[in-house]
Amino acid sequence: MQDASGTTLMDLITADPTAPPPSTSGTSPSTLGKPAQKPVQTERRTKKGTLMQIQSDTIAVAKALNPVRANIRTQKQKRKPVSYAQLARSIHELSAASDQKSSQKQLVNHVFPKLAVYNSVDPSVAPSLLMLDQQCEDRNVLRYVYYYLARILSDTGSQGLSPGGGIPTPNWDALADIDAVGGVTRADVVPRIVNQLTTEASNADIEFHARRIAALKALTAAPSSNSEILAKLYEIVFGILDKVADANQKRRKGMFGKGGDKESIIRSNLQYAALTALRRLPLDPGNPVFLHRAVQGVSFADPVAVRHSLAIISELATKDPYSVAMALGKLVLPGGALQDILHLHDVLARVSLARLCHTISRARALDERPDIKSQFSSVLYQLLLDPSERVCFEAILCVLGKFDNTERTEERAGGWYRLTREILKLPEVPSVTLKESIDDPKDALPPKSAKDKASHKTRRPQPLVKLVMRRLESSFRSFSRPVLHAAARVVQEMGKSRAAAFSLGVDIDEGAPLHAYSETVESVDQDINETSEGSRKGFLLSNGMGGKDTIANLLASLMEVVRTTVACECVYVRGMVIKALIWMQSPYEPFDELESIIASELSDPAWPSTLLNDILLTLHARFKATPDMAVTLLEIARIFATKVPGKIDADVLQLLWKTCLVGAGPDGKHTALEAVTIVLDLPPPQPGTMSGLTSVDRVSASDPKSALALQRLVQAAVWFLGENANYAASEYAWESATPPGTALMMLDADKMVAAASSRNPTLAGALTRLQRCAFSGSWEVRIVAAQALTTMAIRSGEPFRLQIYEFLHALAQGGMQSQFSEIHLSNGEDQGASGTGLGSLIAPMLKVLDEMYRAQDDLIREMRNHDNAKKEWTDDELKKLYETHEKLLDLVSLFCYVPRAKYLPLGPISAKLIDIYRTRHNISASAGLNDIAVATGISDLVYESNATPEKDPDELDQDLVNAWAANLGDDGLWGNNAPAMNRVNEFLAGAGTDAPDVEEENFTSRASVSYDDMWAKTLLETTEVEEYDARSSGTSSPESTGSVETSISSHFGGSYPSLFSSRPTTYGASQSSERSGAAGSRFSNPGGSSSTFEGVGSPIREEPPSYEASVMQRFESFENPMAARGAPSFGSQDDEEPISSDNQQFGKALYDFTAGGDDELNLTAGEELEIDYEVDGWFYHFHCHVIIVLMYPSYVALCSVVLSGLSLHSQHSVPSNLCWSPGSNFLA
Amino acid sequence: MILAVLFSNSEGNILVERFHGVPSEERLHWRSFLVKLGADNLKGAKNEELFVASHKSVYIVYTVLGDVCIYVVGKDDYDELALSEVIFVITSAVKDVCGKPPTERLFLDKYGRICLCLDEIVWKGMLENTEKDRIKRLIRLKPPTDV
Repeated sequence: MQDASGTTLMDLITADPTAPPPSTSGTSPSTLGKPAQKPVQTERRTKKGTLMQIQSDTIAVAKALNPVRANIRTQKQKRKPVSYAQLARSIHELSAASDQKSSQKQLVNHVFPKLAVYNSVDPSVAPSLLMLDQQCEDRNVLRYVYYYLARILSDTGSQGLSPGGGIPTPNWDALADIDAVGGVTRADVVPRIVNQLTTEASNADIEFHARRIAALKALTAAPSSNSEILAKLYEIVFGILDKVADANQKRRKGMFGKGGDKESIIRSNLQYAALTALRRLPLDPGNPVFLHRAVQGVSFADPVAVRHSLAIISELATKDPYSVAMALGKLVLPGGALQDILHLHDVLARVSLARLCHTISRARALDERPDIKSQFSSVLYQLLLDPSERVCFEAILCVLGKFDNTERTEERAGGWYRLTREILKLPEVPSVTLKESIDDPKDALPPKSAKDKASHKTRRPQPLVKLVMRRLESSFRSFSRPVLHAAARVVQEMGKSRAAAFSLGVDIDEGAPLHAYSETVESVDQDINETSEGSRKGFLLSNGMGGKDTIANLLASLMEVVRTTVACECVYVRGMVIKALIWMQSPYEPFDELESIIASELSDPAWPSTLLNDILLTLHARFKATPDMAVTLLEIARIFATKVPGKIDADVLQLLWKTCLVGAGPDGKHTALEAVTIVLDLPPPQPGTMSGLTSVDRVSASDPKSALALQRLVQAAVWFLGENANYAASEYAWESATPPGTALMMLDADKMVAAASSRNPTLAGALTRLQRCAFSGSWEVRIVAAQALTTMAIRSGEPFRLQIYEFLHALAQGGMQSQFSEIHLSNGEDQGASGTGLGSLIAPMLKVLDEMYRAQDDLIREMRNHDNAKKEWTDDELKKLYETHEKLLDLVSLFCYVPRAKYLPLGPISAKLIDIYRTRHNISASAGLNDIAVATGISDLVYESNATPEKDPDELDQDLVNAWAANLGDDGLWGNNAPAMNRVNEFLAGAGTDAPDVEEENFTSRASVSYDDMWAKTLLETTEVEEYDARSSGTSSPESTGSVETSISSHFGGSYPSLFSSRPTTYGASQSSERSGAAGSRFSNPGGSSSTFEGVGSPIREEPPSYEASVMQRFESFENPMAARGAPSFGSQDDEEPISSDNQQFGKALYDFTAGGDDELNLTAGEELEIDYEVDGWFYHFHCHVIIVLMYPSYVALCSVVLSGLSLHSQHSVPSNLCWSPGSNFLA
Repeated sequence: MILAVLFSNSEGNILVERFHGVPSEERLHWRSFLVKLGADNLKGAKNEELFVASHKSVYIVYTVLGDVCIYVVGKDDYDELALSEVIFVITSAVKDVCGKPPTERLFLDKYGRICLCLDEIVWKGMLENTEKDRIKRLIRLKPPTDV
């Protein structure tokens, strides 16, 4: 803490203001608090040595009662800052000094104020303080003594941290323990302090009463966990109240006038002391004495005592409204104490009164006493006229049913109903009954006394809503930021109540003139009738607006003012205003204005991210209240995604997408999906250059951090699309009406697309978007897009699956690269030799689909065979079929969630057979534990697997959606591991006192799981950390193309084998047919290959090279289930071992291929090459191996062989330039 | 509940702080947040001009008085308006003790009395005394209402 001249706080509070000692400015604590560590360091540097030394010195000195006054002066003369030890020693010395006056002066002027700077007080000072307490007469000294005694009592003793803050001090108790000789711990002194204070607090001597009050207050500083002290406090407090509470109250006269007799003043002071202590004690709801004393407090003369007593009562009322109402009895009636509080000059007292009135007027326990309830609501309504905004707003909130954050929707809806229907009638003499005025509102005499009438001449009964709206409007014209903030908050709460009323269908016609309600409301005032035009219908409650006063009008006028408040320069006020606007937005009105306000607001860089996230959470809350608004809210959320992607919590945004999609209902699903994926239409984000070709302008133009965030958001949107498109489109493979008919599958691509889009435009649209992303997005987006497409392929029926399959295949081999080359260029990435770079990533996905198609073909064939031979399926055959089914299910579950009970990887035609087998063997369809994803814990890593059950259309009827929407997070659908759920729930519960983060959050360090992470975690098992690091280093170093490619290849080169090699039994090993065994074996790269990849020092060379050109054709045989029937399959030979040389195979190159390196091979189209052996998709020729990528459908008889993995050749020391495709002898 | 009362100088160094109901690990966050809030907004602010912020269920009202920035954090009953009352009482008391809007030097000179005043204004997370005269009496160990 250095001021301009370099002095420190400690220097400044030394006696000499002009000459700061240079000796300490460098080393002494720089602040009291902020960089808390620093002071600790400096203070503790000497802790062990110096402090112990000084402390023992101090105690020794004190024990000797040796007054060495000169010390202080010496210090002052030397102009040294005063250390804690010196101050403590001074207290010891001065407390024992003979020259009382001088020592007291020193204590008050020098020692005590400086000691206040420290965090805590050493218990060893306590004896001296107690000595001063007993012997000193000086009030100023004593006040400080009570201050320090209270601090010692309140200190919890842990690390010297007391609520007081200040320069950190050591843990005195720990220090005292070390000091075996003279250490004084809190345990030693606290009982003495408590005794002393208890004695003083019980001292009834009138002259002593000021000290008595101070002692009692100091005693309440003790932590409430100390039951012994609590018991003492109760005893003292009730002891005092026994004496002073029951005496006849000389109401307020003594307080307001300075007069008042001495006795009543003292009594009032003691009442204050007792109630202020009682307020700090835990409530005792069942205790009638407690309640009795608290209620008595309402009539006390001291305003602070009244405030505390009302606060206690209003808290008690929430627990036991009936008793409180009974205890208050007549106090609430006109002329009673509660009515007086309306005019009490203490804002918080009136606030407590409002809360008390609200609690009692709404208490179920008092349903049989409507009179009491109406009395309290009458007081509450009067508080709406309170001059203080704090009180008025509290009353509004109470009327609206907002009390704490636990209100039910019904209460809030009732609040809106009350606000719009009720009428404030000013207090009248008690004799007037409401009935009279209703029975004969025109003729009844004004019930007020003349005096009342005079005083309230200008006040007419007003509909609450009008009163409130006007008050709020005037508050919005205030210049005070807190008032604006609070007013906006009240409007927000009004919106919440209104939304609750709408959602419960409470019938409020906002367009109806206000006076219409007066007929139904009990209070009608004569004044009004006099001014009316003679007919009841004609009279107006409005003051000049004529018959135009409707709730809608009032609201419109209020909202106009609210909107103008967006111009406030305080961003927090603006934030609250936007929240209010969101809440007041009706689902049936256009929201263009709100949208444009938010859009223009978000362009302001001043918005802190915490506030933006708060607003985002508000959208969640708004959705929860009105699921109808899903699409509107998504549109608003989109503004956040595009304008401030770097500042918002992506998890919360994604959760919002999801909740809104589910909440949008069948009609809105398409729109909701569109609203989310509109993010994808943004210009491609610039996550830093990946290559030299990337436009430099773009990167420099955009803030890299938000660009990265936007990219993540796009990734998330892509993922979301893949994950939810099926839900939005209501297209599920397991619900599909059309079996994957051969005719459909034989369609060419264009016709397939046409068929798909005519069948389901939503899904076809999503597919198109994803396809575009898979080509034109950044690397990260492409990965997610490929994953999303796979998910869709797995979940969709035909023709979508086939369409995706074909697309993925093209993507894998880069064959369509040229068609998309323009898009590619616009993305600015140099694809170089890597093609789309997705080949090795897509391979396992394609293989899943391969497997499924192949198995389907097998099944069709088998069924045909059975039909032709007219024989039943044997149990063994069924078993085989079922095993294939289960295996495929396991495989599919690795990629995305599917409902195991319903999903039929073998196609709908398999349902019957599977069912037969299940029934026969009593197998439950839901084999959760057998789910490989569950068993391997992958589902834990991917939270959507927990979230997706609601996608199952059978479970997802509208009721469920509504129920779910109304109980967000309570139904377990989301599970607890959804990263944003806690944040949303906490927000909805209105909890949280943690400080916002100051630094602009570095979102990359956020602990939540990004989609990349999930991807990595899904695919990678043992090497995920390294892989992730490698990848992220690629994205974060714009210049290093090499590192990107490195990461690409190591990421997927490493992951591809590891995913499958870890569970070899999943596939080929248990495949029953030879052919499927071969195909299965392709899935599992040998573990050795994986480890080799990692072991190689030059991973750049592992990069999947030149997909564009390295395509070879081989005549598909073993990939074609129909064609391969009966034919020997080389793949069946062995999973791991090279195929023996006598079993020669040949492959034929599909296209010309120019070798990209020494270890590659030039090939011409049609060239046949011999393949030595194949291991799991790697084709070897003289130990040179080649990865194969297969394209289905096999009818096309197309198979490509891709040269790959050539860097490994060096290991085998076979410098082969040969690349072989499977042989022609396998031709169909 | 008044969660925190905090005084800092214009450079953001903390002069006085009182926390109530804030876990010690959260205090550092609050300090930095408040000080940053002040640094961002209080430059050129008028004396006692009120600023407001909110975070989750917590409200913050802050102002500047002479060389000293004052922050009050509260929740529940102590919303932005109640905190405005609190901060008003605090600023009046500080002005009263210092005789004028304090310089940092003056504030530190009156440090002890300011602490005593604060003790009378905010006690265990609740607003206690609000009247200037009453506070003045209480810090001299006189009864709240003079006999």
